[in-house]
Amino acid sequence: MSNNQSQDSKAAEASQQTQQQKPTILEEDDEFEDFPVDDWPENETEQAAGATANGKDLHLWEESWDDDDAAEDFSKQLKEELKKVDSSR
Amino acid sequence: MDSILKDLEEGQRLGSGPRLAAALTPVDTPEYPDRLKSFYNFTNAAQVSSSLRYYLSQIRGVKLPKQELHAWVDIFSAYWKVVGELVKFEESPSSASWVNVYDSWKDVANLLIRAYSNSGFDNWTIPCLYVVGKYLRLFASKADAETSSQGSAAFPDRFQDDITTDFGKNAKLEEAARVLNRMFTLCLNDRAPREDSRKWGIYYMTNLLFKTYFKINAVGLSKNLLRALNAQSIDLPDMEDFPRSHIVTFKYFVGVICFLDENYAEAEEHLAYAWTYCHKSAIKNKELILTYLVPCHLVNTHTLPSKTLLHDFPRLEKLYRPLCDCIRKGDLHGFDAAMSAGEEEFVKRRIYLPLERGRDIALRNLFRKVFIAGGLEEAKDEQPPVRRTRIPVAEFAAALRIGTHADERSRVDIDEVECLLSNLIYKGLMKGYIARERGMIVLSKGGAAFPGTGV
Repeated sequence: MSNNQSQDSKAAEASQQTQQQKPTILEEDDEFEDFPVDDWPENETEQAAGATANGKDLHLWEESWDDDDAAEDFSKQLKEELKKVDSSR
Repeated sequence: MDSILKDLEEGQRLGSGPRLAAALTPVDTPEYPDRLKSFYNFTNAAQVSSSLRYYLSQIRGVKLPKQELHAWVDIFSAYWKVVGELVKFEESPSSASWVNVYDSWKDVANLLIRAYSNSGFDNWTIPCLYVVGKYLRLFASKADAETSSQGSAAFPDRFQDDITTDFGKNAKLEEAARVLNRMFTLCLNDRAPREDSRKWGIYYMTNLLFKTYFKINAVGLSKNLLRALNAQSIDLPDMEDFPRSHIVTFKYFVGVICFLDENYAEAEEHLAYAWTYCHKSAIKNKELILTYLVPCHLVNTHTLPSKTLLHDFPRLEKLYRPLCDCIRKGDLHGFDAAMSAGEEEFVKRRIYLPLERGRDIALRNLFRKVFIAGGLEEAKDEQPPVRRTRIPVAEFAAALRIGTHADERSRVDIDEVECLLSNLIYKGLMKGYIARERGMIVLSKGGAAFPGTGV
């Protein structure tokens, strides 16, 4: 498996590319907009809006990595592949 | 009555900065579609100064000191000239020019700066500085766009990004940055007591400069502003006391500046602040904050955005969803495909590098699945059952074949699997050690094998 190596060279390439790409500017429509009002109270902030939308918990980030449905499939698939690994050695 | 003059009068009479700034806002409004034209027609070039002087000295209950009166007359006379240039776009488009608009607006800006340094303008008038700074930048952009479109029309056979046409393409915006910088200094160095200080304008001016520097590709110059702000930080009012629009914008830009420096920890702090206090209806700005917050969070905490978070932002959903799904499933093949499919967009938004680090998380999730698939060991001595923590390297190798969609013929190099495993252990994404002689991985017990993931 040369995946790791190609990955590294890809990363190097990409970072080189970003270096070269630095001169590109963000497009006009990517500019942070002026807010229509100067100031706003606590209850109009995103924090307050998020809190009311989700009960009291701000559910911004995925908290669980578990995927019970797929776990069994993976287990089976793993056994299949394991045979191939063993036989290829 | 003329709407601009009315705003000027009311602004002075009430001592209202926003009202005065409204007078200096060079646009027609739905309410007054002929606002500019009507102001332009109220006088003529020969009489503009004397008309304004008369008008300003007539305002009931307002007695401006002489020097201040002169300054306002000069500013509004210069403003009248700009309005004349703007009216041309409607009345005689062939003679209208954004370069002319910009050049005459620059006069307004310089007169205003001079008035603050010499004529003792009070700090309540500071919204005038905001509006003049804001349009200085906008007009400079339009002037540069006009110049470059004329340039390419004049030399149609030249390549678009030929060095000769590229040269000076941001000339007006660069010049505007220097004027804005004087406004920044004007705010930062005001020695008046805190409540009467122009220091209240500092973040607004900083934001205008950030926007300008980003546009002319001089993000590095932003750091000079941050240094200057830092040096004065004890004399500045608390951030919480400024209007939220100033602070949220400021935090967004500082976050992006840290982000571009690959300082993701600090970037996340600023961006999270901007997110928390952003106005809930400012969809576009929220989307921009998240564009950078999501990769920061991935790098810092190895956590993905929730479905509900991306749900409201179709563009982000498109940008991040395929990648997130692959990371979640440990699908390395899909991850690489999503990275190359999105490469152009990622590079353009300068988020390629942090996203690239998501591959480690994808690999971690793949190996975590091996651990889960290993199941539980037989319970001994009435202890609760525990997960099998000794796992053959061959199982990880097999998982890698699944994750990379390896075909039948490709061989698995066990050394390389060990290399990947030790890499994850080194980065703290897995806890355990490799028992090479037995071809086993021995993982930490007690839910610490894959820190932060619950197992």
